[in-house]
Amino acid sequence: MPQNFFYQEKGLFLQSLHPAASLTLIAAFFLLALCFSHPLYLLGLLLVILFSLWAADGLAAWESYLKAVLWLGLLIMLINALVNHSGSTILWRSPALPLLGQLSVSMEAISYGAAMGVRLLDVVSAFCLFNLIVHPDRFFSLFSTFARKSSLVVSLATRLFPLLLATLGQIREAQQLRGVDFSRGSLRERTVKNAALFNILLLSALEDSLQMAEAMQARAFGSGPRSRYRRDLFRPRDGICLAGVGFSLVAAAYNLARDLGSYTYFPQLGSLWGGNFSMIALAAVLLGLSLPALLSWGCNHWPYLKWKI
Amino acid sequence: MALFEVENLTYYYPDTKAPSLRCVNLAIEEGEFLLIAGGSGSGKSSLARALTGLIPNFYGGKIGGKVSYQNRDIRSWSRQDLAREIGMVFQDPEKQLVMTGVEAEVAFGLENLGLPQDEMFRRVAEVMSFLNLTALKAEFTSTLSGGQKQKLALGSVLAMQPHTLILDEPTSQLAPAAAEEFFHLIKRMNEEMNLTIVLVEQRLDRCFHLADRVVVMANGTIVQDGPPGESAVWLIANDLPFVPPVAALFARVGAPEIPLTVKEGRRLLKKILCCGNTPGTGQEQLKENLIDNDSEPVIEVKNLWFSYPNGREALRDINLLVAPGEFLAVLGENAAGKTTLLKQLVGLLKPNRGKVMIMGRDTRRAATHELAHYTGYLPQNPNDFLFQDTVEEELRFTLANLNLPDKGRVEQLLGRLGLIQHRHANPRDLSSGERQRVALAAVMVATPQLLVLDEPTRCIDYGMKATLGNWLQEIAAGGTAVVMVTHDVDFAAEYACRVVMLFDGRIAFDGPKHAALGSSMFYSPQIGRIFRGMDNNVLTLREALNRIPLNLN
Repeated sequence: MPQNFFYQEKGLFLQSLHPAASLTLIAAFFLLALCFSHPLYLLGLLLVILFSLWAADGLAAWESYLKAVLWLGLLIMLINALVNHSGSTILWRSPALPLLGQLSVSMEAISYGAAMGVRLLDVVSAFCLFNLIVHPDRFFSLFSTFARKSSLVVSLATRLFPLLLATLGQIREAQQLRGVDFSRGSLRERTVKNAALFNILLLSALEDSLQMAEAMQARAFGSGPRSRYRRDLFRPRDGICLAGVGFSLVAAAYNLARDLGSYTYFPQLGSLWGGNFSMIALAAVLLGLSLPALLSWGCNHWPYLKWKI
Repeated sequence: MALFEVENLTYYYPDTKAPSLRCVNLAIEEGEFLLIAGGSGSGKSSLARALTGLIPNFYGGKIGGKVSYQNRDIRSWSRQDLAREIGMVFQDPEKQLVMTGVEAEVAFGLENLGLPQDEMFRRVAEVMSFLNLTALKAEFTSTLSGGQKQKLALGSVLAMQPHTLILDEPTSQLAPAAAEEFFHLIKRMNEEMNLTIVLVEQRLDRCFHLADRVVVMANGTIVQDGPPGESAVWLIANDLPFVPPVAALFARVGAPEIPLTVKEGRRLLKKILCCGNTPGTGQEQLKENLIDNDSEPVIEVKNLWFSYPNGREALRDINLLVAPGEFLAVLGENAAGKTTLLKQLVGLLKPNRGKVMIMGRDTRRAATHELAHYTGYLPQNPNDFLFQDTVEEELRFTLANLNLPDKGRVEQLLGRLGLIQHRHANPRDLSSGERQRVALAAVMVATPQLLVLDEPTRCIDYGMKATLGNWLQEIAAGGTAVVMVTHDVDFAAEYACRVVMLFDGRIAFDGPKHAALGSSMFYSPQIGRIFRGMDNNVLTLREALNRIPLNLN
């Protein structure tokens, strides 16, 4: 269901975090997914994100993302295997093909494609987590200090998007009951029929926008300098989570500086086990990032912890 | 000194030749509850906007005369100061909510006033607690019911602590119970906080008695201004429909006093109907209204069950037969399954279990566009229909889709619905009532055997309602089955012949309207509530007028 993809207030620990803390966590996931290339680091990151998604009661929603990403991941692997010729461990060579010549598939190219697939899954999973734990108003409120108009525009768009989708559905139904068959006809005819839907939607949206602007003016919008309503309290849990994420980022920076988070794919795969130190460093990064989910688990089991933080 | 003084106010919207307001003179005292009534296009909303300064500040146009607030020309007030003094709640809550969440919405106006955080927090807390919105503070505005949304719109204006509240048809989108609750809230604020209220409204039966003064507008001018009782007598004398049924009834029979509430009306009726009148049971009307029709039913619903993909069971074991020429009203609270049933009846949704037959065709085996040959569907919002460049093209579009010949149908229908003069106009340039007529014409041009309407009386005035009701009765008399989902009990009582009441996805009642509404406690029109227990066969003004003179004699 579409509503599974969006924020729903469930009173969860991760939803109670200050938006600065939750956004820092999500940003760290994004950043590290892009910086690391080591398969174990990328997989470790995925595990922590999944752990956080579990704590956010979001595994069901994540499954829907997974279905979409798996196909994309496989496509990346396939294309990479066919077009990347830097690997030296050749698994299969095609006969000579017109224009393309002889194609070869190497172990290194497949591995690199698989790692990129995991990276994509990291990024998409982090996005899924963002949707589930960050309330849109709180997110935009955070940015309204320095980007007031832009954050309001985005906030309005966020509110109106589901409304427009619902209106589009109603318009489509009304047209179907006037005998419009959206599946019949040539591509051009079908495009014209669907374009008419958007035409109606646009006309209605323009009329509605005038009413919305009037209501905003009646509530003094644009009449002078605005203040910002803050309803998020900064609690010990936010400090702890920020400290954990900060620790992870520092550890990750150290790892990257020592070339621990990166991996050699070409011309030959490097060793996965980068040594004990590399694994300890990875564990340090993951531990810091897992702290919010661990606290969530702890708060569910020990009310005392919840009261104290 | 009056709080508002309007002197010789004349106003033209941009690019229009006719004024929307002509020489309006009005004074509003502090703490007064003023009701502005009138037909569509009478200038009610324009006057309300002039009182808030939105005319001409937002709309532009030409303005003459003066509006003063607290003895100062309203144009000399800064926008921020004006917003602190005068709050406005609009018709459609969906189009006045800005933020995604409830709490942020209440705070939006306060942020615009540049208030400090502590002050904002105090006001948000106060308003949410006063309006019982605290439990919803973390909700998304899109998940609220219509009544909750309008309450939120009111709360977000009240948080700005205005001294005057102007409301432009605030209950037009609400179910009767939610509308009633909203009006009582407004009255409470008027009485407990001395808030000056200016209410523009078409649903007069629920608010006429709450006002201190009623102003009636027509063609941009004030044609009557006085206390509710006096205004009711004037409206009746001038044959204008903007009066609650209870007042209309007693004014027409020449009663010495004009009651404005059901309680007063019943008291007076008891005096009139003294002694010896056996209360009716509805059975006489039940016989009258049953259509003896042996022809094939237009709709046949058998053991229909339907659940949405999220698991919510919306319809449970529905059985329904609708004969040609029947005019059926479907009533019920919000989320009772009315719209789901309606979508099943036109084939937009397919049954999970059981079956729906339209003109003998099983909806599970027919595509929606195929069923369009037999069914016409008028959605709540006629704008969902209109996209052609002219009214005439709008009708021809339906004919072309269904491969039907014109044979003069377009001409005939445009004439019948009073649209001939607009045939070359863009439908989007017409008034809301005219747009609804265009949408109805675009449906009826295919001469469907079944016409399905979703809340057709939303946002239309008494006059337009009567016209629509008469059209629908004419269409039904022509053999088309008419099924209408509505919250408007008075409209159902006046024009439908049969009522289906839905509760929690099941049919709680199916039968003639008198049997359904005459004995109902909550789904009863105002006239029905006056006669309840005395004569359950009386639901409409016409029936009541037939009943009272007999007893007076």
